[in-house]
Amino acid sequence: MLEFLIQNNVVCHAVEAMLFASIGCAVLGVIITQIQVSSIGFTMAHAAFAGAAVGMFFSVNATVCAIIAGICVAFLIGPLSDKARVSPDTALGLLFGISMAVAIFFIAYMQTLGQGFSAMGLLFGDVISLYREEIYALAVICIVAVLFVVVMYKEITGIIFNKRIAESVGIRVTPVYYAMLFVIAITIALCLPIIGGLLIYVWLVTPAAIALQFCYRLSTMFIVAPLVAAVVSVSGALVGLEFSLPVAPLTAVLFSLIFVVAVFASPKRKVTTIRKS
Amino acid sequence: MTTAATPLIELNSVYTAYKGAARPTLSDISLSIGKGEYVVIGGPNGAGKTTLLESINGMLPIAHGTARVCGYDVRGDGYHVRCRVGYLLQNFSFDPLTPFTVEEVVLMGRYGKIGLFRKPGQDDHEAVQDALRLLEIEDLAKRPIGQLSGGQQQKVLLAQSLARNPEILLLDEPFSNLDMFAREAINSLLSRLVARGVTVVIVSHAFDDLPDSSVRVVVMRDGRICLDRECKPAEVAQVIRNTGSAAPNA
Repeated sequence: MLEFLIQNNVVCHAVEAMLFASIGCAVLGVIITQIQVSSIGFTMAHAAFAGAAVGMFFSVNATVCAIIAGICVAFLIGPLSDKARVSPDTALGLLFGISMAVAIFFIAYMQTLGQGFSAMGLLFGDVISLYREEIYALAVICIVAVLFVVVMYKEITGIIFNKRIAESVGIRVTPVYYAMLFVIAITIALCLPIIGGLLIYVWLVTPAAIALQFCYRLSTMFIVAPLVAAVVSVSGALVGLEFSLPVAPLTAVLFSLIFVVAVFASPKRKVTTIRKS
Repeated sequence: MTTAATPLIELNSVYTAYKGAARPTLSDISLSIGKGEYVVIGGPNGAGKTTLLESINGMLPIAHGTARVCGYDVRGDGYHVRCRVGYLLQNFSFDPLTPFTVEEVVLMGRYGKIGLFRKPGQDDHEAVQDALRLLEIEDLAKRPIGQLSGGQQQKVLLAQSLARNPEILLLDEPFSNLDMFAREAINSLLSRLVARGVTVVIVSHAFDDLPDSSVRVVVMRDGRICLDRECKPAEVAQVIRNTGSAAPNA
């Protein structure tokens, strides 16, 4: 898609993948951070990671397994907290622990079988060995994530403002909420091969956190967060490939540095001083 | 959907229980409220006043009994009920970083009416301006809600309830956080709305600000209605105090 700009095929694929993944994750990240369901995003990311590990072990499509695992976790949180009479937070903790245990078990086992190299890609991402179909899938999910926000904008803003108030004004909170979890699960699963199970959370949370330092309105956050994510991710990919550095970890470090700078530069934390003349 | 003869709110032997609760929060509630009535619900803490409002609004499942509001069965058509009822929830305060302006928050009151996949239109924005004008907070329209005082936030949420031109207003402690002037202004506004035919059901512990005409008082205790009668505004506090603290059905 970007071959007219970047001649090298490997670099071109890496940049395209990072661009689509970063926009999709950042748009959904604004919702995740503003509804304050970061722990759900975190748990879904690790469940997808576990699903991919299981798929890889049994030689089944890892992406499909990751999507299924992510969706299962999203839909299990409510029933688990109801049946086990535990808070949703505890249910998430349980699911996170189980996901990590499953993922680590299969990755460790694959290493003993000599399949360690492919398993490491799940942990830290691999932008080089992507198939063209995977990049198309990322482009599609990026468009789906953006369209989801555009089409459901008013419902999403209502839920972000307050779920109880959203329900009281007649917004159908539950279906919208589950549709949102569904889109998040698919996005996470598709981004997993390039970003990695341990780092994807940075893509989901940090761009939104950076945007929050400067934006006073939600609509602006939905524009600033993906812009920041796209610029940082593409820069990370170009620099990483140029100097043979691991792309996803390098980009994650870049995100973290920019977040620190944003916190200090944020106008929201500036105190106005009034001097008596 | 409703005629002048049919009540807007009609509950028959309603029981409501929270998930996992040992006993129902509301027991055997039967209540009929007509168009343009002003009803004050009183009673001690934990009597079930807020639960009653949420059951009327279809936000809590009804375990037993029937509930019809604005002609809709609350059990199956809760969404339609909520599009016609303005509900002010109690005790809300927003973080200073909440990324919504007052105008955006009031517009949310129309979202249920607008429906899925549709954008707010000119009439929705006009309804928002009308609601802001009624509450005399037009000057706050562009301000972030989190940077307002508790009383101003309360007015914004009331404006949100009014923005969907409700047939019924359910107000849970609407006078909390409000100063004396704001209480008088809102009381006067509620009286005007009742005169226009809007039904107002209010849970409150502040009885200084009631309409001048007689009001209907419903007193609850232990999830049951123990008194339902008309009385003069000056008597409301005494009636609720006497009935709410006495044994049920006394």
